Amino acid sequence: MTPDQNMSNKFRAALRNELAIWIHKGIVTEETAKQLSSAYELDNLRHESTRLLSAVIFTIGGLLLGGGLISFVAANWEVIPTPMKLALLLSALLGLHSVGFWLRHSTNWTRLGHALIFCGCLVFGANIGLVAQIFHISSNWYGGFVAWALGSLVMAWAIRSWIIGVLALGTSFIWFLGFQSDREQLAAAYPLVLAVSLLPLAWVIRSRVLYAGTLLVIIVAACVLAGYQGSGRQLLFTMAAGGMFMWTLGELHRTSKWRMEFASITSALGLALLAVGAYVWSFHVLWDVSVFGPMRSLWAILFFTIAIALSLFMLGRRIQNQPLLTAGVLLAGAILCASSLLSGSTANISNGEFLFTVATNLAALILAAIIIGVGLIDERRLAFWLGSLYLVLLILSRFLEYETSLLVKSAAFLACGVAVIIAGISYETYLRRKAPAAKPAMEGVEYE
Amino acid sequence: MSKRASLVAFTVAVLIQIMILVAVPARKVFTKATGKTVVLKVQPVDPYNILSGYYVTLRFDVSRVDAFPNARGMVQGDSDGTWVYAIVENGDDGTWKPISLEHELPANLPDNRAALLGRMTYGTIIYGIEEFYIPEAQRDRIADDLSRNVDKARVEIKVDRGGHTALERLTIDDRIYE
Repeated sequence: MTPDQNMSNKFRAALRNELAIWIHKGIVTEETAKQLSSAYELDNLRHESTRLLSAVIFTIGGLLLGGGLISFVAANWEVIPTPMKLALLLSALLGLHSVGFWLRHSTNWTRLGHALIFCGCLVFGANIGLVAQIFHISSNWYGGFVAWALGSLVMAWAIRSWIIGVLALGTSFIWFLGFQSDREQLAAAYPLVLAVSLLPLAWVIRSRVLYAGTLLVIIVAACVLAGYQGSGRQLLFTMAAGGMFMWTLGELHRTSKWRMEFASITSALGLALLAVGAYVWSFHVLWDVSVFGPMRSLWAILFFTIAIALSLFMLGRRIQNQPLLTAGVLLAGAILCASSLLSGSTANISNGEFLFTVATNLAALILAAIIIGVGLIDERRLAFWLGSLYLVLLILSRFLEYETSLLVKSAAFLACGVAVIIAGISYETYLRRKAPAAKPAMEGVEYE
Repeated sequence: MSKRASLVAFTVAVLIQIMILVAVPARKVFTKATGKTVVLKVQPVDPYNILSGYYVTLRFDVSRVDAFPNARGMVQGDSDGTWVYAIVENGDDGTWKPISLEHELPANLPDNRAALLGRMTYGTIIYGIEEFYIPEAQRDRIADDLSRNVDKARVEIKVDRGGHTALERLTIDDRIYE
């Protein structure tokens, strides 16, 4: 398999700087430098960073503008008569949308246009609040959010906008949090609605944030539903199965090259879900107090089934990139799922709470090893440090959880501190050893 | 997507947003336009909860389930979330009094009676008229007026044939807030 080309901005920026030095030193010819520059699209770098900066600035401006208009409505400014207020905000809505569309499609200010349409969607939310004020509509607190989400969703599809998609995702989730406490059975369809309405949009516009964010909200919503059913073990099962599902989906993206840009963020969030689930349930008190109701979380079963199916598919097609890591993640997820499922018959298992506590701690240790492993294999500093911190947190939590003497606690803290420092030094040394020979060249330039 | 297709999709999206904005108050507008006027007496509210954000929280004589003589027969098992019709009758003092609770909308109600559609929640009935939005500058004054003169406070509402309600105005003695 051909290794993937590193197209990260950081690497490309470093390469652009190095190329000038390599040409100067005669390491590469002008022609080779041009080929490299073309392959890594180095000429676009400055333009890309400027575009990103302007997009961020315009979006922040849009947020502030929308926030200002929403606050203005909330203040219910009495000097302006009600019809005038309504006309004002409707004009703002139409004005922002129209100008935004014109800028986006008829000028070079596409990002400003996008930000103005986003702002228009915020004003749309403010208008919903305004009509609720004018007509003294007193429905459930979450009622307006579903209207806001629906309007935003339609606009997100119309202009293929990831940030308006995120707005629809956020407002719909707020609605869901209120709605599920009133209509639990109907609310169970919410993850499906999200999957159908937002995942295809994220796929079409290749938005990593919208794709991973939607998947995360789908799983969190399933967790909320499981938690609302009053069972801690259903919540753990849903979280673990959801984590496995996201990890395997991310790996499928990575290995199959289908929307490869979705791979890292999806896998990382899957790993994070598993790690959070394992850490929370590593405390024995949770196994003591969990309510063991009947397993009804259909979403969890679906996540689990898809995760296993995807793993088998990748195994069958032999497109597994890092089989050991995937096996480790699935093992940790399976331990968490099995613990949550078996805990239902805890009365038949002697020392059940003890066994499940040990099992979840084992799963957490495996996950810590995997995260550190990702840091080592992929040379990702953040993963290494997060994995190390997770491991330390796990160890210290056990020492604080159980009755041990202060001397033992002190020894544990010291040992963890020393271990982290040694691991850090070893890791940084390892990275330096593996670093390309560009460093001395850079140092040479500095002394010239 | 071509520019023309983009324009069409965008226009449809804007129209849908406007339709949503029209749909949000549509029921209240219809009720206000076609409904019968009913005056309800306002009940004292926990003073710490009167002012919640930018609206006054209201409770009425007809908000309590046990204000209706047949309440015991209606509240059986888990009745939270159940939709009911509260039958009210015009009293001598101009305010409308609780008469009975019904699961079905009664046919042929006399002119001096009305059916208000509400939802039972923890021993109270929520009609969707419990929040009276007020300008920020008047928040404290109205809240203070309401807590001092709650026995003189009335709300004027409209009730349509389906029992849906819309808040018209709040009056405290001779002071009118709309």
